[in-house]
Amino acid sequence: MGRLPTLAWLALRNLGREFRRSALTAAAMALGLALLIWSRSLADGAHEDWIDAGVRLGEGHVTFTASGYRDSKSLDDRLSAAQLEVALRALGEVEFPDAFATAPPLASVRVETRGLASSPDGALPVFIVGVQPSVEPGFSRLGEEVVDGRYLEEGDRLHAFIGASLAERLGVRTGSRMVLTAQSASGDIEGQLVRVVGTYRTGVQGLDESLVHILLATARAWLGVEGATSVAVLLPNSTFTDPVRGELDSATRPDGIQVVGWPESLPDLYAALQLDDGGDWAFHVILFIIVALAILNAIFMSVLNRKRELGLLRALGLSGGETGLVVYIEGVLLTGASGIVGVALGMVIVFVFFRDGMDLSGLMPDDINFGGIAFDPVMVPVIQARHVVQSVLLTATIGLAASLFPAWHAARLDPAESVKVE
Amino acid sequence: MATNAATRSAADRAGPDGPADHAVRTEALWKIYPQEPRPVEAVRGVDLTVERGEFVAMAGPSGSGKTTVLNLLGGLTRPTRGKVWIDGLELSALPDRKLAAVRQNHIGFVFQSYNLLPMLTALENAEFTLMLQGVPARERRERVLRLFHEIGLEGMEHRRPFKLSGGQQQRVAVARAVLGAPALVLADEPTANLDSTTAEALLDVMQQLNRDKGTTFVFSTHDPRVMKRAGRLIRLVDGRIAEDVVRGGG
Ligand SMILES: Nc1ncnc2c1ncn2[C@@H]1O[C@H](COP(=O)(O)OP(=O)(O)OP(=O)(O)O)[C@@H](O)[C@H]1O
Ligand SMILES: [Mg+2]
Repeated sequence: MGRLPTLAWLALRNLGREFRRSALTAAAMALGLALLIWSRSLADGAHEDWIDAGVRLGEGHVTFTASGYRDSKSLDDRLSAAQLEVALRALGEVEFPDAFATAPPLASVRVETRGLASSPDGALPVFIVGVQPSVEPGFSRLGEEVVDGRYLEEGDRLHAFIGASLAERLGVRTGSRMVLTAQSASGDIEGQLVRVVGTYRTGVQGLDESLVHILLATARAWLGVEGATSVAVLLPNSTFTDPVRGELDSATRPDGIQVVGWPESLPDLYAALQLDDGGDWAFHVILFIIVALAILNAIFMSVLNRKRELGLLRALGLSGGETGLVVYIEGVLLTGASGIVGVALGMVIVFVFFRDGMDLSGLMPDDINFGGIAFDPVMVPVIQARHVVQSVLLTATIGLAASLFPAWHAARLDPAESVKVE
Repeated sequence: MATNAATRSAADRAGPDGPADHAVRTEALWKIYPQEPRPVEAVRGVDLTVERGEFVAMAGPSGSGKTTVLNLLGGLTRPTRGKVWIDGLELSALPDRKLAAVRQNHIGFVFQSYNLLPMLTALENAEFTLMLQGVPARERRERVLRLFHEIGLEGMEHRRPFKLSGGQQQRVAVARAVLGAPALVLADEPTANLDSTTAEALLDVMQQLNRDKGTTFVFSTHDPRVMKRAGRLIRLVDGRIAEDVVRGGG
C-alpha cells in the first residue's frame, strides 16, 4: 500500500502528541517484559543449579551405556573396551561454541555394581562405583563433603571412600578395613578387602548410607571387567544436553552404545522442573493478561478521546481500514519500543543488580533437599536466549493483540457521527 | 450561471443527463435515521444541482437537515434513497474505499470547529490533502506557502492548532480544503464560532478563492450577514428545499 508511510507518519505524530500517555503505556509493557526476563533468568538460574546438582550425583548431562544396561543393570551389558574407546572418541569430536569453551566437557568412566559392605559389626547393601580419581572430584564433588580422612587418590588401590552414615552403621572409621562383595563378570561372587580412606556427608540420607567409591582400576580387577558400565559426561551447561546427546547418539549407535540425556536418566528431576516451569508460565501469562488489559484500555481510551480527529481523517480521505491501521500502527510502535526498552531494562536488572545472585537463605529452611538434590539458597540468574526470545514474543503477541480491538473500533467509526463530536 | 471551471475536463464523464458539467447533483435524495420510537426523516427528497464555480449558502432552522445534506453531498454519509453525482461520479454504488478516495480528491470539508489535526502544524494540516494525493513535498510546500501568503496566514506555518486563533484555524481549514483542487468545498457553519469581524474576514477569503480560483463552495449558516454574501441561497425546511434563489454576482 503506497500510503503506508503516510499512515505510519500520522501514527508516530499521534504518539508524539500524547507523549505522556504513550510513554506510560510503553513503560507498563516494558516493565512487564523486564520483569518477565528477570524472573525467567532467576528461575533458569535456579533450575540450572538443580540440574547441576542432579547430574553430579552420577548420571551427568549425558550418559553412555551399552544398550540393554539401563534395564538390566547387569555387568553382562557393559561397554567393552572397544566400545568405551568409540564413546570417548565421539565425545572428543563434539564441538562447543567458543563462548562456552571455558568449561570443557568432563567424562567420568565408571564401573558400577550393587553389592554388600561387611564389617565385624554386620553387612549392609551398598552401591559401589569404581571411579577415576583424576576426574571424579570435579564431577561428583563428594570430595568436598569430607567428614573424616580424605577422598580417593591415584594409587589408593585397596581403599574406599564411604558415607558417614554407612561408616557409623558398620562401626568403621577412617583406617578401618571392610569387605565389599559383589557378583563379578564371570558370575561368581567375589570379595574385595578395602580400607576406609575417608568418609563424607552430603545430607542426603540415601547417599550417605549406601554410596561407596573405589578406584576404577580396583573395580575392574575385582569384577573382571575391561571396559566400563557407563561413561557419564558433564557438559558446560544443561542447554547443550539435547544437541550433544543427539550428535553422540548418531555417532555411537551403530556400535551398540546408548546415549541418554539427563531428562531421561533423572525423570523425577525433569518432571519437577517441567512443573515449576509450567507454574511460572501460567503466572506470567496471567501477569501479561493484566498488562494487556491496561494497554487495551489506554489505546481504546485514546481512540474514544480522538473520535473527532479520526472522523476528520475520514472526511479528508482515509478509508475506515486506513484509519484503523493508523491506530494499529500506534500499537505496533508502542509494542516495539516497549520490547526494546524492556529487554534492555531486563538485562540491566539481571546484570547490574543480580550479578552475584539473590540470596534466599533467609526464606528457606537450612537443609532443604528435593529428590536427593540439595538446594542452593543463592539464586544466580542465567540468561537463556531462548527464554528471552520467548518473553519478547509473548510481549509482542499481547501488545499486538491488545491493539486489535481499538483499531477495529476506529475502523468502524461512522465518519459523519465522529465529526459531530465536540 | 457561473462557468469558470474550465480547468476541469468533464467531457469524458457522463451524468444522468449527458456530460456532467456540474460540481454536484442530487436526485430524490432521502436520509432516514432509524430511531425509536419513529425514524427521523432528516432529508426528504432533495433535488439539487450546483454548477462549477458557484458560491452557495444553505440556510434553514436548526434541525432542518443542513448538516445532513452537506454530509450526503460529500460522501460522508450514505443516502437512504436517491443519488449523488460528484464530478459526474455516482456515489451510491461506490465501496467504502472508493468513497474515501472521492472525499480526498473531489471534496474539501470545513467544519464548524476543530478542523485541524492537533498533532500537526498549520502547514502540515494545510498540505495534508496534497500529501494524500501524492503531491511531492517541495511542490506542496510551495503551494501552501503561496496560499498562506494570499489569505493572510504568513508566519503561522509552524504553529500548532492550539496556538492559532479560531479565525486562523478556520482559514487553515479552508486552505486545506481548497488546495486539493476539489469539485466543491463543503463548509458546515464555518463562521458559527467566530465573531462577526472574523466571520466577515473568513467569508472574504472564501469569496476571494471562489473568484480567483473558481473553487465551488456550498456552506450552511444561520447568519443573515453570511447569507447575503452568497450568490445563491437555498432554504431548507424539514428536510426539503423550500426556496432556491440565485442572485447572481457572488
Ligand atoms: N445520527 C442521527 N440519528 C438520528 N437523527 C439524526 C442524526 N443526525 C441528525 N439527525 C436528525 O436529523 C435532523 C436534521 O439534522 P441536521 O443536523 O442535519 O440539522 P441541521 O440543519 O444541521 O441543524 P443545525 O442547524 O442545528 O446544525 C434533525 O432532526 C436531527 O435530530
Ligand atoms: Mg448542522
